[in-house]
Amino acid sequence: MSRAARAWPYAALSVVALVSLVPLLYMARVSLSPGGDLPVAPADWFGRPFSLEHYRDLWGGGPMARFTVNSLVVTCVAVPIQILLAAAAGHALARSRFLGKGLLLALATAFLVLPRQVTLIPLYLLMSWLGLLDTYAALILPHLADPFGVLFMAHYYQTMPAELEEAARTDGLTGRAIFWRILLPLSGPGIAVVGVNGFLTTWNAFLHPLVLTTSESMRTLPVGLALFAQSEFSVDWGALLAGSTVATLPVVVAFAFFQRQIVEGVLQGSGR
Amino acid sequence: MRRPATGVLPWVACFGLFGLLPLLAALVLSFQAYNPLRPDLVRWIGLENYGRALASPSFWHALRTTAIFVAGTLPVTLTLAYLVAGLLSRIRRAEGFFRAAIFFPATLSMVVISLVFKSLYAEEGLLNAWLAAAGLGRVHWLQDPALALPSIMLMDIWASAGYYAILILAGRKTLPREQLDAARLEGLSAWTVERRIVLPHLKPVLLFVVLLNTIRSFQIFIEVFVLTRGGPLESTLTLVYHLYERAFYHFEMGYASALAYLLLALVGIVLLIQRRLLGRSAAGNPA
Repeated sequence: MSRAARAWPYAALSVVALVSLVPLLYMARVSLSPGGDLPVAPADWFGRPFSLEHYRDLWGGGPMARFTVNSLVVTCVAVPIQILLAAAAGHALARSRFLGKGLLLALATAFLVLPRQVTLIPLYLLMSWLGLLDTYAALILPHLADPFGVLFMAHYYQTMPAELEEAARTDGLTGRAIFWRILLPLSGPGIAVVGVNGFLTTWNAFLHPLVLTTSESMRTLPVGLALFAQSEFSVDWGALLAGSTVATLPVVVAFAFFQRQIVEGVLQGSGR
Repeated sequence: MRRPATGVLPWVACFGLFGLLPLLAALVLSFQAYNPLRPDLVRWIGLENYGRALASPSFWHALRTTAIFVAGTLPVTLTLAYLVAGLLSRIRRAEGFFRAAIFFPATLSMVVISLVFKSLYAEEGLLNAWLAAAGLGRVHWLQDPALALPSIMLMDIWASAGYYAILILAGRKTLPREQLDAARLEGLSAWTVERRIVLPHLKPVLLFVVLLNTIRSFQIFIEVFVLTRGGPLESTLTLVYHLYERAFYHFEMGYASALAYLLLALVGIVLLIQRRLLGRSAAGNPA
């Protein structure tokens, strides 16, 4: 192949990568500029001074700090529980036979493709009936029903030999001890896929948190940002895009460390 | 082997309570006139909600919006994703970097994406500044009823092409190597190889992308919520936004549940078509 023939895919991909990243770099740049207007001239991109004023404002008692804390609390509680539920249930599905197992698997698989909006109204009424509207419980509990992790772990344990568990059992370990001391430590790669996909769905969740919270102090970051943007009259772009950047940073970190696991989740139908 | 399956119980409890129960409850609600603020007026009305939806211009308008959305985004997204996947499979160096840069937007919150595009589409925003620099007039991206939906579609293409490119790329990685080499030795052109060997091999993945994109388009909500709230002049009113308004502004929760089940039925139809086209083995498994 000639030099040009080898080079053009790189040139084309560079353009695509640029188009894909520039809006995000623009977001970060606006968030780091002083003032609330949008810098649009190329000179502004490079020439404008950098400023952390929007980030200082975010933490200076505004609601955005509270949104961030709420998102962190919900994610940090929901994802570990999701992982434990998925490992326990996935293991049971992979190793045991029980009544209704086929039906359970079919329902869980159907739920993967089900439009989640269908459960929205009943969940709202259920949470309202339980007196849980506008609480962390309302934000966390719906995530625990997610079937992706369970199905993924069931598949994961099917491909893992059972000898080790059998040996531990003959050594007299209880089922619980086997789960915590042998199974979980051996499940790292599977847990990473379930964990990072659970993180992305929980951190980015919008419709359910929008409906299940009513007061500003319980909004999660995506919901708070979206509602903040709707005060149409004078949008403070700097503040808004600083909040968006804050919402993006954890995703960047997760992506940097777990890109392979995220792709694995996509290929296995995590629905992300 | 026989082991007590107690491990499955905690998740089954969650799945039942926050998954299956709401799913069934929505069906029951859809047969009722149900306003949570007026419990005295709650009553069983059979299929009336469904009849009302099917006779409602808003429902058909939302379906039409969805159809325009699919017809406008799918060919572009699919072509782009196919081309990008082809390019990614052709390069040797820095594949990881390009793949990451192109896939990354798919992991972002749709709220963040919508806010960034809201700033790009703003009257004083970057796109209008570029148009002005090119000597062109201002475009009212989100305020013009004729442009609001296309603007959202453009954003959707930006946000999802990378995701589908990764799916197609995974399909390309399983191409039959020997067959490709043999074809090249026979002197077939790259175009012929692509058409005769690569495309048929990728057919299940491409169909999967088509159906996934269609199903997702039925569920569009965040984009509309952040950018246009269904307007201007209802030009971006989607099914889920309509459902949300009915349920949480007007508290017509029975009617909104019927809309939800109609959505479910539409997605079910799309999945049935997928089954037909792909056969059982490939359904739901892109790779």
